[in-house]
Amino acid sequence: MITKKEIKHLADLARIELTEKEEGELVRDLGKILGHFTELNRIDTSNVAPLTGGTSLSGVFRDDEPERTSDTGKGKEQFPESFGGFLKVPKVFE
Amino acid sequence: MNFLHDLTVKTFRDGLLNKKFSAFEIVKEFFDYIEDKDKEINAFLSLSKDTALRRASRVDVALAEGKDLGVLAGVPLAIKDNMLIEGESVTAASKILENYIASYDATVIAKLKEAGAVFLGKTNMDEFAMGSSTENSAYKKTRNPHDLERVPGGSSGGSAAAVAAHMAVAALGSDTGGSIREPASFCGVVGLKPTYGVVSRYGLIAMASSLDQIGPLTKTVEDAAILFKEIAGNDEFDSTSANPPGGAYGNELLNPKLEDIKKLTVGIPEEYFVAGLSKKVENGVQKAMDLLRGLDLNFKKISLPHTKYALSCYYIIMPAEVSSNLARFDGVRYSRKYDADKLLDIYLKNRGRGFGEESRRRIMLGTFVLSSGYYDAYYAKAQKVRRLIKEDFDKAFDRTAGGVDVILTPVVPTPAFKIGEKTEDPLAMYLSDVLTIPVNLAGLPAISIPVHGMYKNGSYAPEKSLPVGFQLIGKPWREADILGIGQFYERL
Repeated sequence: MITKKEIKHLADLARIELTEKEEGELVRDLGKILGHFTELNRIDTSNVAPLTGGTSLSGVFRDDEPERTSDTGKGKEQFPESFGGFLKVPKVFE
Repeated sequence: MNFLHDLTVKTFRDGLLNKKFSAFEIVKEFFDYIEDKDKEINAFLSLSKDTALRRASRVDVALAEGKDLGVLAGVPLAIKDNMLIEGESVTAASKILENYIASYDATVIAKLKEAGAVFLGKTNMDEFAMGSSTENSAYKKTRNPHDLERVPGGSSGGSAAAVAAHMAVAALGSDTGGSIREPASFCGVVGLKPTYGVVSRYGLIAMASSLDQIGPLTKTVEDAAILFKEIAGNDEFDSTSANPPGGAYGNELLNPKLEDIKKLTVGIPEEYFVAGLSKKVENGVQKAMDLLRGLDLNFKKISLPHTKYALSCYYIIMPAEVSSNLARFDGVRYSRKYDADKLLDIYLKNRGRGFGEESRRRIMLGTFVLSSGYYDAYYAKAQKVRRLIKEDFDKAFDRTAGGVDVILTPVVPTPAFKIGEKTEDPLAMYLSDVLTIPVNLAGLPAISIPVHGMYKNGSYAPEKSLPVGFQLIGKPWREADILGIGQFYERL
């Protein structure tokens, strides 16, 4: 149902480092879970619109007035690395 | 210790106002008790004794000065560790947030503070609320107070166990597919999952945003109504939040009238009483129905034909949202446990080692169902099935077509299972949620209430008998119906 090659590709997309053993377990577990999902193919949904989100609310607007709603300085103290109050990250380009 | 055992939100307030005790005394007594009792239960991940005692003293001073007290003045609460309290640690029971300190209050916390509540500590849970037994916590295994060999349920297992073991008067949990109701049923306490959108999730660490909802875990339905009323309401920081049509919740939540309750029709869906339901649960639900007949409620058989597809539908939609929501934990922004020279290696290491097995599994599953080539077959299909599941409920609740007001079902197919029993088989674990998931997919309110006679007033069950709950599902925004029936049920 799902191959080791696919698991490696998904792990790469999700930025998750896996061991060989974990890859094997995921092949087994996801295979079993995805197998269970095939039951959905028994339902005819050709004329059903997808239900997106958990609410039927739409277009929730507020007045377009500037306002100070929270302290934008908060949370900085939790940065793993910072420089001059900014979040510091290792260089992205070589 | 019997004294703490008898405390509810209601009796605490009565005792405080009648000067039978001070808030400080009670809060101190709770910490003394937790210190001893939590060695065997492991419900708490962190305690905030100093802050709690300080807040309790302030309540006592305000009372002595004759000031108006908030509805929850001095009430000692436990909070699931995925909700932010400013200045306190918040881990979501994950290693990836081991050192993280919250920089603001979640809206529910701000509201509870406003009402005067005292927070004893943060409770254990499945990592990022993903699990049905609290065994997926990166820190500890919480035990069921009714049988220490068994799980408390999950993911709000710490909150349910804390209330069941009388280590808090009440608690908050969160429910994405049953995470309040399942542990409530396993631990013999009341658990309410409100209508989607009625309680703000601002400051709740998001799991699956189209399903997540915060709610109370309490000893009585009356307490659940009191806490719910305090945390409900529109919040500008959560754009999915709304007030019920017609404005804020009124007095009917707290003071239901029997003549209104008697007018309600209760539906019994045949699809919830199928193979796999344990005898004990079936008998329990039957027992609850027999008692409810004493209230003159009408019962009616109904059908929710797509029920059996809810599990597959949920386990596609939820991981898809999880994979997106958990992308923010990258080792760069919130906290870093593993250092590396290259940015990519920081991502790979922190996410690979920082997330536990179940979190990784769901991120991978979510990434798969959203990926090109599989999206239509899985994610789009599940969204369509989700509509069919919601339409089942819409039809069942349609009064113009002879529909019902409330639906009664079991909560979980079995009582609490043994620790370790299902950890090797993810699919078996997922099946614990089969009767609670449809409610989240449809955005409805639902409550788990302990069946009478299976336990006594929230105290330990005699002869190691495990508690069982029954579930009442209401129409959107009609918490008053399920809380109303529940309040009359607990007086029977």
